[in-house]
Amino acid sequence: MGVDIFLTVLTVVFSLMVVLSKRTVVSAFALLMTLLTIAIIYFQLGTVFLSAVQVLVNAGAIAILFVFVMMLIDLDSFPSSREQSKVKLVISIFTVLVILGVLALVINNNNDVLSTVTLSDSSMKTLFDRLFNAYYLPFEMATVLLLAAIVACIVITTSQKVEKEHDQIN
Amino acid sequence: MSIYYYLSAFLFCLGLIGTILKKDLISMLLCIELMLAGVALLFILFSKSTGFIDSQLMVIFMMIISACEVAIGLSLIIALYRKKQTIYTEEIKIVTE
Repeated sequence: MGVDIFLTVLTVVFSLMVVLSKRTVVSAFALLMTLLTIAIIYFQLGTVFLSAVQVLVNAGAIAILFVFVMMLIDLDSFPSSREQSKVKLVISIFTVLVILGVLALVINNNNDVLSTVTLSDSSMKTLFDRLFNAYYLPFEMATVLLLAAIVACIVITTSQKVEKEHDQIN
Repeated sequence: MSIYYYLSAFLFCLGLIGTILKKDLISMLLCIELMLAGVALLFILFSKSTGFIDSQLMVIFMMIISACEVAIGLSLIIALYRKKQTIYTEEIKIVTE
């Protein structure tokens, strides 16, 4: 139980840093730490494979991608102090209160169902058996989605260069 | 294990607040990542409490989709920065122009 609370507090602190930090680079590193602590939680829950994938893909690739983009964009050239609109603040707090209320209701009403841990069917063999048999088509579709994302990224970032070159020629 | 349910709800709500309140596009994408992390944690917790292993597969698919979302989002931000020289939402007025 002590490890649970420690990991939860660590995740809460890092996730608060993501939202409250003024500097975007600090936010990105706080997100990296949040994802790493969540990977530790996955490990503690017994899903070792997903914990490894979380470290490799989410923490290793995505968070570092954010830092690379920040290096491309000169964030220091923008003024840091900007006014916060009060309407947005009220709307966000109201929305979050509603969502938290609903979630607390759901969790409290199903507490005995949710607190029973069944570790019977979580081995990697069963996981991959399901993935490559029942979920074979969605898995292939996901690879096509990744390929489409790669092509989209290349097209989005290079099409403007081509437009500029055309303008210069004309 | 029950505390992790509240943690996932907290992560989702914090990400939502950040997405609404943050001014620059990169921070908004970071907060969307936070929301996705909360939902993925909830999927794994449900898989553990009900023994339904397909929830863990959903987390794998979620990771693939979040990778695509971040890649396309960041490339759009770079394209926008090249065109407008800013990443702040208030200074970008694409629709009105």
